[in-house]
Amino acid sequence: MKKNNKKLTLFILPALLFYSVFTLAPAIGGFWYSLTNWNGLNKNYDFIGLKNYAAILKDTDFINSITFTLKFVLIMVVLQNILSLALAIAIESRNRSKTLFRTLVFMPNMISMIIGGFMWMFIFTKALPYIAQQLNNAALMDISWIGDPFFSFIAIIIVSLWGGIGYLTIIYLAALQGVDKTLKEAASIDGANAWQVFRNVVIPSIMPAITIGVFVTLNNSFKVFDVVYSLTGGGPGRSTQVIAMNIFAEAYSLNNRYGYASAKSMVLFAIIFVITIVQLKLMRKKEIDG
Amino acid sequence: MKRKMTGWNLLVLLMLILYSIFSLSPILLAILNSGKTQGEILTNILAFPQNFKFDNYLIAFEKINFLRSFLNTMVVVIVGCTGIVLLSAIAGYKLARVKSKLSGFYYSLFVLSMLIPFHSIMITLVKIANVTNLQGKTLGLGIIYIGLGVPMAIFLYTGFIKSIPPELDEAARIDGCGDLRLFFKIIFPQLKPITATIIITNALWMWNDFLLPLLILPNSKTYTILLSTNMLFGQYGNNDWPAILSVLIMAMLPAIVFYLILQKNILKGISEGALKQ
Repeated sequence: MKKNNKKLTLFILPALLFYSVFTLAPAIGGFWYSLTNWNGLNKNYDFIGLKNYAAILKDTDFINSITFTLKFVLIMVVLQNILSLALAIAIESRNRSKTLFRTLVFMPNMISMIIGGFMWMFIFTKALPYIAQQLNNAALMDISWIGDPFFSFIAIIIVSLWGGIGYLTIIYLAALQGVDKTLKEAASIDGANAWQVFRNVVIPSIMPAITIGVFVTLNNSFKVFDVVYSLTGGGPGRSTQVIAMNIFAEAYSLNNRYGYASAKSMVLFAIIFVITIVQLKLMRKKEIDG
Repeated sequence: MKRKMTGWNLLVLLMLILYSIFSLSPILLAILNSGKTQGEILTNILAFPQNFKFDNYLIAFEKINFLRSFLNTMVVVIVGCTGIVLLSAIAGYKLARVKSKLSGFYYSLFVLSMLIPFHSIMITLVKIANVTNLQGKTLGLGIIYIGLGVPMAIFLYTGFIKSIPPELDEAARIDGCGDLRLFFKIIFPQLKPITATIIITNALWMWNDFLLPLLILPNSKTYTILLSTNMLFGQYGNNDWPAILSVLIMAMLPAIVFYLILQKNILKGISEGALKQ
């Protein structure tokens, strides 16, 4: 046994080394610095206990970024999952065109959201105003997609859906293919209509995939950064500043308050941690129930 | 099953076509307008260019130093993927085979870290990159990715190796095969499917990752494709769309080609990876 453990340690050592230096140490460091007033410019810093966390409670910009992110997350969880599931059902119902539609729906997922955001910028600032002009529609012409807080929010949602729906559609497609066909047929023979079959046979059998879909969206949406960076940069003002962007700005673009930014990043970590624990609990429960 | 309700089918088809247009519209519009002059873009965005100006691509190619940016990105991806695959496969092999408390502890240590968001480690990570002299180097960025990527790969490898019968190991051991040789001769060749998945997902991640390269590579000589694109956009903003759109097309082309070739593997990796969690 001891010999086995020795060999085990020897085999995992290289991976453990890289992991410790570039993931574990920075994580512990992040927590430690969150308790200091390290500002990056100064070599010296002091331990200040929970003062950073106390400051966070009064930081309206950060609190606004949390509220904004929450709104974003909520809309994404609902829209992304419903649209992905609808698309998956639609694709699954096709015969020959199945592969083609799957390819097209997933395509944006391959593209970095930095590039995606820039391409959409062209649509929002050039193509849509042009179309509005051609239609001679005053209401459409008035929309400033990137200059107005509300429409910037809508723009971010549209681009995020564009980039994210493909991934979930693939997951839902795989789940739909796993639904027992005999069960569906049996229900139809018993006189259930298409909606009843969907509601009572399909939904319960793809429930695990729905749970995964919801939590994938929760996790990614709370950490959203790239699309906001490329599309609005958090603006106008700070109106579309998400949590990750607020942390980034605190550390790198506005000021170099590393200690304070670390404390903020621990708040983000706590949010992700709670979500994951809830997810694990839910999925365990399902396994026992099922 | 025969199709009834043709009206319903038509509606479904229409919805799929509409969504596909939405999905492709940014790419198509970018291609269409990348061949125009700035003036043409202003007069009619939706029209075909009078004559497609491939020169825009040549100019863009030079502007972002495409070749250098491409090679920089490749260095990062190759170093990262090689390291992740080798180190994780070796670690996953023993984690799957040795059943002890220590083994369980190591496994949890790796897997638990998967829930730490990148933003919570980034500030200290940049400091560590400075101290270890990796800051500013493409090779250094690749090395950092190894440390960030091993947990997920170890998770996948350990699960996969558990499904390979250990009798094979024992037979080889009787033949006098050492542990490391046994791993490379017997185990590693059998990991091909999961290795392919791991390489594909990690290559895509590194290829499309933005924030870490932004923090590690401040010098334009070491820019990845994304960083070069971002710099160009910052420089020309709204004023030179033909150049920007050409760059965007070139920047996403490698990933699109990669996708069209390896589509089956990519989609299989996603659905299996997600549903296994």
